[in-house]
Amino acid sequence: MEASFRELGWRRLVMLGGLLLALLGSLLLDLQAGPADLSLGQILAALWDSEQLDLRHRIILFDVRLPDALIALAVGAALGLSGLETQTVLNNPLASPYTLGVSAFAAFGAGLAIVFMPTLPGIGHTLMLPLLALLFALLCGALVLLFSRLTGGARESVVLFGMALFFLGTALTSALQYVGDTEAVDQIVFWTIGDLTKAGWPEVIAVSLCFALVLPFSLRHVWVLTLLRAGEAQAQSLGLDLNRIRLWVLLRVSVLCAFAVCFVGAIGFVGLIGPHIARILLGEDHRYLVPGAALCGALILSLASFLSKALLPGVIIPVGIITSLVGVPIFLALIVGQKRRV
Amino acid sequence: MSVFEVNNINVFYGRTQRLFEVDLPPLQSGDVLGLLGANAAGKSTLMRTLAGQQDFRGGAIRFAGQELQRHRARHWLAGVGFMPQTPPQESALRPFELLWSAARALGVTLSDQALTQRIEALLARLGLAERAMAPLYSLSGGKRQLVGLALALIRDPQLMLLDEPTSALDLHWRMVVLDLVQERVQAQQGIAIAALHDLDLAARYCTQLVMLEQGRVVAAGPVAEVLNPANIARVFKVEAQVEIGPMGYPRVQVLNAIRHPG
Repeated sequence: MEASFRELGWRRLVMLGGLLLALLGSLLLDLQAGPADLSLGQILAALWDSEQLDLRHRIILFDVRLPDALIALAVGAALGLSGLETQTVLNNPLASPYTLGVSAFAAFGAGLAIVFMPTLPGIGHTLMLPLLALLFALLCGALVLLFSRLTGGARESVVLFGMALFFLGTALTSALQYVGDTEAVDQIVFWTIGDLTKAGWPEVIAVSLCFALVLPFSLRHVWVLTLLRAGEAQAQSLGLDLNRIRLWVLLRVSVLCAFAVCFVGAIGFVGLIGPHIARILLGEDHRYLVPGAALCGALILSLASFLSKALLPGVIIPVGIITSLVGVPIFLALIVGQKRRV
Repeated sequence: MSVFEVNNINVFYGRTQRLFEVDLPPLQSGDVLGLLGANAAGKSTLMRTLAGQQDFRGGAIRFAGQELQRHRARHWLAGVGFMPQTPPQESALRPFELLWSAARALGVTLSDQALTQRIEALLARLGLAERAMAPLYSLSGGKRQLVGLALALIRDPQLMLLDEPTSALDLHWRMVVLDLVQERVQAQQGIAIAALHDLDLAARYCTQLVMLEQGRVVAAGPVAEVLNPANIARVFKVEAQVEIGPMGYPRVQVLNAIRHPG
């Protein structure tokens, strides 16, 4: 028994290593894709020593492509991790920050910024958009938390409440589109689809920092999260305070997700399928699943970012369209392929 | 001196009272108490209360000189192994992983080697050695129930609270489970309380019985006193005969259901 337990651990570590390699590969693919022709060799050489490139290509690589590619990794990892933890603590395979309404609220916040163009002293219009998106995503997280506190944290009602918030956020965004002019409506639609190309280094750093701050808490919880996969009754019977655990997890998940979506828009599906792919590859032991879900989320968004540039020459398709179009069939295949129920 | 005492427990779900002034016979180490009653008699509610998961009013629950207090229930549970009625759900988690993670999540202070030994012994004893690394969704309901028992025993508890531990098991495994419970109770000077539906098993393995009806204790005491046709008729609404079987334990023969109870 123990031998196969340890062997399984090794196999999963190897799998994590494989995912990491795949991620590096897709990062390079993503860096190399785009209209300005930069070869893989040039890119690698320039990453080693930036003087290797002429100024124009250097700007393209370091100010356009690298931040875009890295924000895909950071946002993907954040969405993968928050999706996994949401699914585990709510014991619901369809839960994700998206279904808790976080993204929909972020979209409403972004829409407010787009339509009314509010300004604050010292904060320009370009900063107002992510700021409002962040605030509303956090507000949604706070509402979910407040609600789960009031109802004692029963998980079914949290899921339903999240769905209600999702619809509320969507309805509010539609209302904004109704009052906004054509240009604002276009921008809102664009934002709700999700787009990586507007991100720069500050955004990359903000999302990465948030991820790096949340990850240790998730890693400290891996045993409890694994135990939760045996079901609520079992975890409770051993004396775990489920409501407290759920509250903590929802708190960190909504902060992480709020930061992930506030710059790049409501990218769907990554937080839902990333964790599922990780479960299939790595099993249910959260020691491997927590890093695995982050890696899978990052890999999916990175590949989607590559596809968004490579599918139509000269055109960048918004990445949210790719994640949903490619994500849905993959997701359906997974559902059909896997026979387990939970 | 009694080791486990339950006196005058009242439990409310909202405004509805579910348990009324429940007393259990004082239990000594080595005792196995069987909790009998029809569905919805309050067996599971009582079990959860004893495990520290359900608030109660009045009265007291004491075990080995320690009193159960709601805000310290976690502390209480460290000495208590509670097996709920619901078995582990059908996830891709494997029994060995589950037991290992549970032990680590609960802060069981065993070296990896000692923990491995404990898990392997438990799984082997419950006939799960072959399935230790099989995903839970591939196990039958009975096997998952056995995993649930292993989980309840992972901390080596002195007090075992088992809510219908054999409901999904076939004859062989029912005996194995209750043999294990009896053996542990005797070897470690522990106590077990089990909600049971099978009267013959209860008669065979329990030292004390309690019958519950609509949240009240209607009979309590040694098996021979409690298990009689009058009590069985009252609690289970069946006409029955009780005789001493070939192994020397009381045996219940159910004759027919009482058509118009009460």
